Amino acid sequence: MPETRVLLKHAEDPELATLEGYKRHGGYAALEKAYREMEPDEVLGELEDSGLRGRGGAGFAMGKKASFLPRGDMAKYLCCNADESEPGAFKDRELMQRNPHQLIEGIAIAALAADAGHAFIFIRGEYDQQADILDAAVAEAYEAGYLGENILGCRRDLELVVHRGAGAYICGEETALLDALEGKRGNPRLKPPFPAVQGLYGGPTLINNVETLSNVPGIVANGAEWFRGFGTEQSPGTKVVSVSGCVRRPGNYEVELGIPTRELIYDLAGGPEEGHEVKAFYPGGSSSPVLTAADLDLPYSFEAMAEAGSMLGSGSIIVADERVSIPHMALRTARFYHHESCGKCTPCREGTNWTVKMLERMVRGEATPMDLDIVASVQENIIGHCLCVLGDSMAMPVGAMVRKFRDEFEQVMAQAPDTDRIAAVQGAPQTLGAAT
Amino acid sequence: MPELPVDPAVTEGRVPDRSPEAIPELHEVDCPAELRERIEELMGRYPERKSASIPALWAVQRRYGWCTPEGIRQAAAVMRVTPAYLESVASFYDLLHTQPVGSHEVAVCTNISCWMRGGDELLDAFRAAAEGEDVHVTGFECLGACDIAPMASIDRRYFGPLEPGDARAAIEQLTSGGEVLPEKALSKRPLAGGPDA
Amino acid sequence: MSGKEVTLIIDGREVTATEGEMLHDAAKRGDVEIPVFCYEPKLGDPVGACRMCLVEVEGIPKLQTSCSTPVRDGMVVHTRTEQVKEAQNAVVEFLLVNHPLDCPVCDKGGECPLQDITMGWGPGKSRVTDPKRHFEKPLPLSPLVAIDRERCILCYRCVRFSQEISEDSQLQLLDRGDRTYVGTFDDRPYVAPFHGNITDLCPVGALTSYTYRFRARPWDIEEAGSVCTLCPSQCNVSFTVRDEKVKRVVARDNPEVDDGWICDRGRYGFEMFAAEERVTEPRLKGGAPTDWETAIAKAAAGLRASEIDHTGGGSNSDAPGKVAAIVGDASNEEGFLVQKLLREALHSPHIDSRPSRGATRDALVGLAQPSLTAKVRDIDTADAILVLGTDPLHSSPILDLRIRKAIRRNGAELVVATERPTALDGGANAIARIGPGEARHFLGELTKALGGEETDSLAPLVETLQGAEKIVVVWGERIVRELTGATALLELAQALKIDEADGAGLLEVPDFTNARGLREAGCLPDAGPGLAALGASEAPEAGSTGRSTEEIRNALETGELKSLILFGADPLRDFPDTEAWRRALAAADHLVVFSTFENATTAMADVVLPLETHAEKDGTVTHPDGRLQRVRPSASRPGDIRPGWGVLAELSLALGHDTGVVSQPSAFAALTQEVPFYAGISDAEIGGRGVRWQDRPAASSSPTVGEDAGAPSERFAREEDGPSGDSTSAPHRRVASEEGVPAGSLMLGTYRDLWAGPITELNPPLKFLEPQQQVEMSLADAQRLGLKSGDAVSVAQNGTAVRARVLIKERIAEGVVFLAEGVAEGNANALLNGGPVRVEIEKVAE
Ligand SMILES: Cc1cc2nc3c(=O)[nH]c(=O)nc-3n(C[C@H](O)[C@H](O)[C@H](O)COP(=O)(O)O)c2cc1C
Ligand code: SF4
Ligand code: FES
Repeated sequence: MPETRVLLKHAEDPELATLEGYKRHGGYAALEKAYREMEPDEVLGELEDSGLRGRGGAGFAMGKKASFLPRGDMAKYLCCNADESEPGAFKDRELMQRNPHQLIEGIAIAALAADAGHAFIFIRGEYDQQADILDAAVAEAYEAGYLGENILGCRRDLELVVHRGAGAYICGEETALLDALEGKRGNPRLKPPFPAVQGLYGGPTLINNVETLSNVPGIVANGAEWFRGFGTEQSPGTKVVSVSGCVRRPGNYEVELGIPTRELIYDLAGGPEEGHEVKAFYPGGSSSPVLTAADLDLPYSFEAMAEAGSMLGSGSIIVADERVSIPHMALRTARFYHHESCGKCTPCREGTNWTVKMLERMVRGEATPMDLDIVASVQENIIGHCLCVLGDSMAMPVGAMVRKFRDEFEQVMAQAPDTDRIAAVQGAPQTLGAAT
Repeated sequence: MPELPVDPAVTEGRVPDRSPEAIPELHEVDCPAELRERIEELMGRYPERKSASIPALWAVQRRYGWCTPEGIRQAAAVMRVTPAYLESVASFYDLLHTQPVGSHEVAVCTNISCWMRGGDELLDAFRAAAEGEDVHVTGFECLGACDIAPMASIDRRYFGPLEPGDARAAIEQLTSGGEVLPEKALSKRPLAGGPDA
Repeated sequence: MSGKEVTLIIDGREVTATEGEMLHDAAKRGDVEIPVFCYEPKLGDPVGACRMCLVEVEGIPKLQTSCSTPVRDGMVVHTRTEQVKEAQNAVVEFLLVNHPLDCPVCDKGGECPLQDITMGWGPGKSRVTDPKRHFEKPLPLSPLVAIDRERCILCYRCVRFSQEISEDSQLQLLDRGDRTYVGTFDDRPYVAPFHGNITDLCPVGALTSYTYRFRARPWDIEEAGSVCTLCPSQCNVSFTVRDEKVKRVVARDNPEVDDGWICDRGRYGFEMFAAEERVTEPRLKGGAPTDWETAIAKAAAGLRASEIDHTGGGSNSDAPGKVAAIVGDASNEEGFLVQKLLREALHSPHIDSRPSRGATRDALVGLAQPSLTAKVRDIDTADAILVLGTDPLHSSPILDLRIRKAIRRNGAELVVATERPTALDGGANAIARIGPGEARHFLGELTKALGGEETDSLAPLVETLQGAEKIVVVWGERIVRELTGATALLELAQALKIDEADGAGLLEVPDFTNARGLREAGCLPDAGPGLAALGASEAPEAGSTGRSTEEIRNALETGELKSLILFGADPLRDFPDTEAWRRALAAADHLVVFSTFENATTAMADVVLPLETHAEKDGTVTHPDGRLQRVRPSASRPGDIRPGWGVLAELSLALGHDTGVVSQPSAFAALTQEVPFYAGISDAEIGGRGVRWQDRPAASSSPTVGEDAGAPSERFAREEDGPSGDSTSAPHRRVASEEGVPAGSLMLGTYRDLWAGPITELNPPLKFLEPQQQVEMSLADAQRLGLKSGDAVSVAQNGTAVRARVLIKERIAEGVVFLAEGVAEGNANALLNGGPVRVEIEKVAE
């Protein structure tokens, strides 16, 4: 089954990244409509009716979040979360690189709905090229009067600043993002207060993911009903899904939410190479508990993934075929969260560190079966005890791997390969966990 | 009651080997004019000037190759914050270096997807190829380009999928100022699933 | 507080709390202890980082951090369930993953929250077998504080203090995740005036004081609560005493006074109690030790001699009293007894307790009106704070923190109007620089501007102040040194409607610690105990108005006065015009000096009598906001030192006058009898927290303005013709830009540096802070004079010169330079003469 391209509709056109190219495909018509013909509350209503759910991980209804912002003339802010740093996720990169104006238009419209006068795109520092593209597009938009003072002569102002991060996954967490944007170390804040009430510089702040905001122009242009025409009741719309790992055609595929996961992995991404099959996959980025081949026919939707004990998250599928060693994959996963933990709260800081040390001993064959129980219980001790969910983001997948592949862990511990290096696929010299 | 040992600090007093560092005054740091102007311009972009600390550190790094103590002091003087504050911020982020690095940077992704497709071998290859060159090679967490795994970010541009064999070529092009791996640049890659993909 | 009462159930117990209060605190009052590490209300909003305080709140699936969960009515909370216990075990186990567990050799052992909580809430055994992180340890974080990074549990208390309380932002977190460590920029030493507080805050043995490491064990020490009298802040402290010697000073929270912080003077300034230079027994001329009987007899004889001698020079030899007394660092009782001694035993009116001169009795009575006085707490709730002619950081450090808190947490607006840039300028909404010696003029201008007169230079100040209702004016006593400065201040207070808004008021930063107490005890030339107008006093001769400090100095020189009693005062170090004082002391027939340490002044004395330190003394002091506090004896007195009240009682007995004082309590009783608004204050009432006399019924009997204004206003008149600051000058005008000023001639401003004086000279651990004289000047002036920072120069004022090093400062106005008072070398007091001073600056050879 083919893709359903909405956000990436004209993405083949290299001109799309320019204002002219974007307008040639009908760009900024939604902004004109919203600013000229609609009341901010109508726009907000449209977004609420659309049922658009956040594409950054939590899947919270976008319009609803926007409606949480208090009214009144205090300074309000909008932050576009373009930190995309979760292993397996690369959809925002594609959207910004190929269609920056769609995002800018979405931001300008969302700012109208949220009555925000200042907007920021917080883009991860590694996306230097995409940030350059955004800078150029933002300059064009200012030029054309879609940003800045008195937009389209409608006596509304919007300042938009592209803010480059400097390499820290935690800055994707919305409150850490706010601290980083305020020029501090990117540490998450206590919630409540929630950003919608007290966010950037203490003012009400709407934070949304790149893909979420990229959906806004379409909704305003074509209406909520049109949007609900895609996807499922609880997961309306299309989703740009990043598929990677042991597949033949890794890449971003835009599909209606709810299609069978198998179609994404096999039909679109080409599935594992000849003679290999799916052993496990992260359905929603590295923080989602891994699923197995048995789950391949689940509909790819927020609700179905939650039911299966995992999550759709940012919509990033990482596929592991039978040659990949799960204990090593668990170690890679744990190492990432250990490296990225901000260190502010105890369970995450020490739990990730301790988990890595234990997993390293396991793949080096220096662990005892008791360590396996300790690893499992340490994950339990992390979950629900941290300041933000970074800790859980390691504990959930690692916990799931230990649960679902316990014998493979025991096998690896016994085999004592004495290396934590594993190259699967592509002319892998020593392939572990697989029948060598 | 037995007398406990008394630290000489009590009887003689200690003398610090270096001076403390509060907010430096501009005339004490001789900050290059263009760096000062850049940072002032950045501060102007935000409702609160402290928001410019990461951009300011980027500017320092661009000027000096890394966030040198002197560069940090200069930025601190312009921003009217303590150098300690800026160093604290810089040390939190992976892309801001508080130690010297080479004039070129190669970050090889070794995270899950790249690892599965040979990221570790690629890193080895780059390390070997960069031997003795003015190139800073590091393994890096997911760079957000698993579609071109295994991949590397070379002077902040993405390339992949790469073979270990590409490393030597890339380093040579880099150090000789030539265009790096033209055919493997992400910017030239068509959209997945498209007709020409 | 936010008020509304709510009730909730914690572990089955009903607890009442105030709405918005944090669950942890409510539980505490209900005797339910919830363990915490990062939570410390003094540091501001909770951060919820350590996760030690997790509890179960019915209706919420996830455990909540009780340190950051506000109570709600009807809340049902469990702190002992399995789920909670597991979480607590987990957090303790996590904290120990990287902790070295080196308790036996840890200085915190026995008083360590981590130890206690591990015992009380930990799993009992650790499952960690992996290696822990390693750091070089211990390292000097500063010359006073050692850091052991292996023990650090990353609770962030110390760095939060540096960033959000003292706001020096020198102490920071470096790196990320479990690599995070506490440090400074480029490994520089952490040197800031309050940094010692981090050793009180650290819940583990990561931050320890070099001055205390291994000097005592928790089980062989005693804690003695007292008051630090090293500056007017009068912070509440606790002395850690071992073998009757002070081994450590820590803060003793009193929100009314210090908010639970102390500065490094108070914390580390205790080695001097046992310094070589300490005067430990009575001494005669030349420093020969003697016994008390001889010393008292000699002192009495000398004083009596000059008292009956009417033949000596001095024009008005019929004027009463040839003896004068100046009181500096003294308790209320000591001050009270000195003025009794002088007025009743020696029948002399010449007593003062100020470095040169000050406000008249009339003005002081005006300033002492309860309706005009702010209490320290008022700073917390002020809409606007006006810092006038003082830099709290140097003169009353703890107020600096208090003002920062008001700005940070209450959004108070700050106006700074001073000669020299202050540490608070950074947070100020409006700043004005006052030309040296022009405070009175500035006050006049500001009052006029507030009255609606156009002055663009003051517009920002007026704007800020007029927008505010509750205004607290923190003013330095120096501005009333200027003739009629006090009346100008009172007029400003009127213009600001201070007496109308409650929560508004004036708060003085005096030159001496107990200035207010001493004035109220009667150590003034024109007022008796309780600021009583003179003439009311029985002693006929003493009834008349006496001489101020400056006048005493002149009269000694001319011979009009014969002898002098100095009690805790060192004119040759601390008073303006050092040379004049040297001549005056030399001219005196008889000089009796009460002093804690040897100094240039004691060297000239005929009789030197030792004084107690605040760790040994028993007595009361009065905070600038009117709070009487008790200094309690905590350590033993070295050598043959006796309590000040006793010595004074004996001395006046030897002079034939019985004070009736036989003990500290009786001295205090005598004081409270003669000071109407102290009437009936008991030691119990003062207790551990002190009591403001304005808050007691007796306050109604405090003197009121206008009454018996006769004598003082004549003094006024006389003063008006005296030398006065150039009154034509604009407030913060650039002196040098004014025509007629010789090129290179600069206006001299002076200030008392926090670290100037015996504090750094007699405490080895603080020696590294001893200030070297620096002449601070603007970049423009430095360039004009071809000087750069660090150059050695001489700063001269007709004839007299001091050496200094140049320090260029951006915020200093052109045409003005600043020198520090009280430093050992190049003391600025040598250049001062009571009027505005211009100086010439010349480069000199190294
Ligand atoms: C550790 C962590 C990392 C996150 N990283 C990202 C990210 O890179 N991009 C993103 O959009 N959301 C990220 N999120 C989710 C954000 O906190 C937030 O929910 C989201 O940006 C809201 O936007 P949305 O409602 O449009 O999804 C992250 C959350 C956590 C806890
Ligand atoms: S040094 Fe002490 S106070 Fe500072 S973070 Fe570590 S444990 Fe907390
Ligand atoms: S005390 Fe509540 S989280 Fe630390």
